[in-house]
Amino acid sequence: MDPVMMKILDSTMVSVCREMGITLMQTSYSTIFNEALDFTCAIANRDGDMIACAEFCPAQIGGMPLMAKSMVKEMPLDQFDEGDIVLHNDPYRGGLHTPEHTFFKPIFVNGEIRGFAVSIGHIAEVGGMVPGGFCGEATEIFHEGLRVPPVKIVSKGVHNKDIWRLLLANVRTPRYNYGDLRALISAVDLGERRMKEIYSKYGADVVDQTCNDLMDYSERRMRAEISQIPDGIYPFEDLVEDDGIEDRPYKISVEVHKTGDDIVADFSGSAKQAKGPINATLGVTLSATYNALLHMTDPSIPKNSGCFRPIRVVAPAGTIVNVNYPAPEVGGNTETHPRIAGTVIGALANVIPHLAMAAEGATHGNFVFGGVHAATKEFFACYDIEVVGWGGRSFADGNDACDSINGNCRVTPVEVFEVRYPWRVEDWVFREDSAGAGKFRSGVGYTKTLTCLNDEIIISQMTDRHKVAPWGLNGGLPGDKGATLFMLSGANEWLDASQAYGKISPSKYSNISIRKGDRVRLVMPAGGGFGDPKERDRESLREDVVEGYVSAKAAQDIYGL
Amino acid sequence: MGYLVGVDIGGTFTDFVSFDTATNEIEVWKNLSTPGDPFDGVLDGLTKMEHLDGIQRLRLGTTIATNAILQRAGANVAYVTTKGFRDIPFIQRGNRKAHYDMTWIKAKPLVKRRHCYELDERLDAKGGVLKALDDNEVRALAAKIKAEGAVEAIAVNFLFSYLNPAHEVRVKEIFAEELPDIPTSISYEVLPKWKEYERASTTLADAYVKPLVGRSFATMNKRFDELALGGRVAVMKSNGGECSFDAAAAQPVQMTVSGPTGGVVASRALSKLIDVPNLVTFDMGGTSTDCATIINGEENFTTSFEIEWGLPIQVPMIDVRTIGAGGGSIAWIDKGGLLQVGPQSAGADPAPACYGKGGIEPTVTDANLVLGRLNAEEFLGGDMHIDAKAAHDAVKRIAGELKMGVEETANAIVQIANNNMVGALRSVLLERGHDPRDFSLLGFGGAGPLHVNELMVLGNIPQSIVPINPGQFSAFGFVMTDARTDKQRTIQQTSARFDQEVSTGLMSDLVEMAVNEVREQGYSDELEIYRTVDLRYLGQNYELQLPYGGDDFTDAGLTDLWKRFHEAHQARFNFHIPGETIEMVNLSIAVVAPSPKPTLTTLAKGSGSPKKKGERAVWFDKAFEKSSVYDRADFLDGQQVDGPAIIRESASTTVVCPGYVARADAYGNLHIANKRS
Amino acid sequence: MKFSSNGLYVEEYVKCTNCGTLIYESDRPACVESTDKELFCSQWCVDWAAAREKRWKQNA
Repeated sequence: MDPVMMKILDSTMVSVCREMGITLMQTSYSTIFNEALDFTCAIANRDGDMIACAEFCPAQIGGMPLMAKSMVKEMPLDQFDEGDIVLHNDPYRGGLHTPEHTFFKPIFVNGEIRGFAVSIGHIAEVGGMVPGGFCGEATEIFHEGLRVPPVKIVSKGVHNKDIWRLLLANVRTPRYNYGDLRALISAVDLGERRMKEIYSKYGADVVDQTCNDLMDYSERRMRAEISQIPDGIYPFEDLVEDDGIEDRPYKISVEVHKTGDDIVADFSGSAKQAKGPINATLGVTLSATYNALLHMTDPSIPKNSGCFRPIRVVAPAGTIVNVNYPAPEVGGNTETHPRIAGTVIGALANVIPHLAMAAEGATHGNFVFGGVHAATKEFFACYDIEVVGWGGRSFADGNDACDSINGNCRVTPVEVFEVRYPWRVEDWVFREDSAGAGKFRSGVGYTKTLTCLNDEIIISQMTDRHKVAPWGLNGGLPGDKGATLFMLSGANEWLDASQAYGKISPSKYSNISIRKGDRVRLVMPAGGGFGDPKERDRESLREDVVEGYVSAKAAQDIYGL
Repeated sequence: MGYLVGVDIGGTFTDFVSFDTATNEIEVWKNLSTPGDPFDGVLDGLTKMEHLDGIQRLRLGTTIATNAILQRAGANVAYVTTKGFRDIPFIQRGNRKAHYDMTWIKAKPLVKRRHCYELDERLDAKGGVLKALDDNEVRALAAKIKAEGAVEAIAVNFLFSYLNPAHEVRVKEIFAEELPDIPTSISYEVLPKWKEYERASTTLADAYVKPLVGRSFATMNKRFDELALGGRVAVMKSNGGECSFDAAAAQPVQMTVSGPTGGVVASRALSKLIDVPNLVTFDMGGTSTDCATIINGEENFTTSFEIEWGLPIQVPMIDVRTIGAGGGSIAWIDKGGLLQVGPQSAGADPAPACYGKGGIEPTVTDANLVLGRLNAEEFLGGDMHIDAKAAHDAVKRIAGELKMGVEETANAIVQIANNNMVGALRSVLLERGHDPRDFSLLGFGGAGPLHVNELMVLGNIPQSIVPINPGQFSAFGFVMTDARTDKQRTIQQTSARFDQEVSTGLMSDLVEMAVNEVREQGYSDELEIYRTVDLRYLGQNYELQLPYGGDDFTDAGLTDLWKRFHEAHQARFNFHIPGETIEMVNLSIAVVAPSPKPTLTTLAKGSGSPKKKGERAVWFDKAFEKSSVYDRADFLDGQQVDGPAIIRESASTTVVCPGYVARADAYGNLHIANKRS
Repeated sequence: MKFSSNGLYVEEYVKCTNCGTLIYESDRPACVESTDKELFCSQWCVDWAAAREKRWKQNA
């Protein structure tokens, strides 16, 4: 083991992944890529273990190894040639949900595969029942767009046009999809090139050995962190409020077993899988469990598959945490993931509250829309991400307006949004008193109001926390819920999707036709508070009042000012 | 003919370089900075010049804007924006610094939410007026701001103002009438580019430092006038170019990294002179250390500077990474009993203990004295009184707490400081995908040459260079630079539909504006004009920058441009999309007024080593080792010395470690490498 | 995972009874079949499921 080499190689590979991400950001077409950064770039070894990744979307980072492993199972290494690129999005083969398109490019050194450059990105338009991928009322995977099992989209450096034609014939925005998919390919091309340079510079065996040492090192560091947690079995539960098809909640139930330096997260007590699209694949549940634990341990541990070794997940087939074919599951990766991660954090908060966070808003809004732009006559589709309030922590307030922990996405600037899509953004404002009260309050949620400028825009949504509030910890209070409200042109009252359009769920619905002048208001939830609000530092509280985060009345009634 | 003078006002020292354009002679000197009124230190230093009226141009680098931002010591700012959007500076972009860090705390903007105000105006996405600005509402807001009395500067940022500045310009006019004592920054003048948060953050930074920079520059300007130097003094901007005091005070955000750019400009010149294409600079002063890279002979520019993570300043500037650690960094013992160095610095006041100005805390400089790396008699060529006993006592105090020897403690202080520096090197090399082994470490600043040898070893950099006059190298860069103005505008045309007339008009306007701005500052010589355009495939959101030659957009020019874009995209990203529509987003103009540059003289050829001036005990690792002492001025081209050795010069001391060798090149720069290599 | 004889599509998605992981043909050798013909990816999963069953009964 050469610690200097480990340090150099780790930072070099992470910066390669970062550079891949920058390429993706700079060349992609959809705002979900170039503004929101809903992608991940990584390097895997030939067994499919992740050896490095950059600071992009955690949901995809944790899900990547399972996709790589299923690809290698279906496409043995001896079937690869130099210059091949594999595309894979199949949720029923280790994937996360249909929009998450993953490219693998083998890294050949002297005629032998040493690893893979990997890029995963959320493609905004995937065909299926609604423009924008998130069909809140899907009841089958086939409603959720095109499934792509591992296929070689590029063979020996030559693009397989038949696959391209098949892919692009099944989506509403082929020009954009081509641009985004091409950007993902450009990223793996770059990663492969850089890794080859690294292999030739240091020697293939040295690199492989060092990568193994790095994974062992991360594993040791994780185990050392886990050892600090008292042994025991810690249960926790949370709810997904409904599935878009039936008006009833679905339970996520975990028992976290901590023994020595091992953790088993057993989700056997969770609800049977739903008819609607809130189901998680096993990849999502693994990723969510890793996500929770990586968030509660030392952030300086190099992020690779070694981190995952001390963690086992038990997620029985046919439940909301491991859906069986052919049920829908697009919301599993965005909404159920943070709910699963939240239960693991909540369970461990019993014993390590100082490392925990009360519930965050834990949704991404997932407001999707599409239509034909009156000015360009081109079909547009958008996956719009909104951010939430983080939960309070033992040492600090939750962050205001921050992406839920399964993503690390950016909101899209108003100026980019309006240039691209026929909406006008009327306002984007923090919600006073939305924060879960506590000794450390949560971050606040916000409201964003949109007015339709097109003759018609078709919208769908796949969100949560409209009925079940984010929980507090250690005496902290729940935070405010979210909502999506509509005011039709000429009307003067705000209604939810159930009231305005007769939808079963106000948070998960499909294909609502919005007309020119209609308004949509996205109300994003806050998080839960941490600790008794009466114990909040009075100086901070007075500052909250002056700054407009907490009303004078709430300061008096809830915080006892 | 006359003198070009560079003055670098640092946290601890103010450095001076004068270049005689008639004789090519260079003189350097330095004195202690005067934090209370930095000008006193400048004036103090200038008294060393015999003929102030011989100064042709004096260029000043200052960290005043940098420090105000980094220490959050700027003004109470008001943010004025479009109705419905006052929370943009707080919402920011919603992502976070690290992907798995629940302890992360989002950065606070440079404005309080209670000072954010909205005006009922709105432009659409093409710059058309949806809701006109109401003058009365603006006046009412001015009255409110005046009545509240808390605000010292105002930042105005309306949605889509980069397409149509009319509303912002009008607000500025009205505020100038109603609030004549409060400066107003408008986003259109600071950063006329799309994306409202990044523009807000940059405009806020501009307003935040404006009162302070304005006051300070006005005072300096006045005092230079008193010296009859008015009109011949310029300040360094973050882009490495100079501009007038007035221009700098009007847009202080351009001064965010003023001081450190000198070292980078000088490094670029050195890289070309001695043909070492890849340099990583290590400019260690008393208060802070700056690192930057020269790759293939060119400095790097960035538009993604961040005050801290998530608070961008997006004006183009030289890419310099600054950490708050230097010779003055104070060593202390934390609650857990661990020795720590910095980030607190003794600066120029109280200064390190050895300066005898009342400082009692041990600093890195004190530790270097204890280790024999610095020598009390030689400090600043003997011009400064140094109290070696005070240094010893200061280190001894914490050595007692640590139950370690004084020298061991001093050595630990230096090693911990070095390790902090390695972090800064890593951030400009490894984190950007550069292998340290492809670089030379260029050590300058007062303390750089003391640490450069140990640092190159720690940072896996195979060789290091100590340039001539390392103590004043940044100031030296100031005499090597030009006046430069950058202008940028959003243009929004496509290869499918391109309005040549409108675009050509816009380009001419911009060129005229930039040329005037340079001329107004008194540069009358021939100007160089560089035109660049930002292009992307229609649908992408980030651009590639390509040069455009010629005053007009013509069929031939554009056809060539589109072809070059496809080629550039292929070269940069390994693919292009034939036939795809290309969008032109921004147009940038750089106007440069070149100024005469020093020609450096070469040394006579020599062999062997220069004459040894003595020996002294210097601590390396675990013990004192007998080390040879040399004078830098004695080196001839090609002469070399073996470590352990100390090489003295007036403003700095180079330490050569055991096992290493230092060799002088034709210009007198010292190259340090492992003896075996 | 049971693929069609021509290898072009999946006929049955096979998962471990306890942890739910996908079981490909190449994983079979490591798998364990319980007495009631249920497929587990490893002995660890057999033991874990049994222990959970027991614990839940005790708690009930």
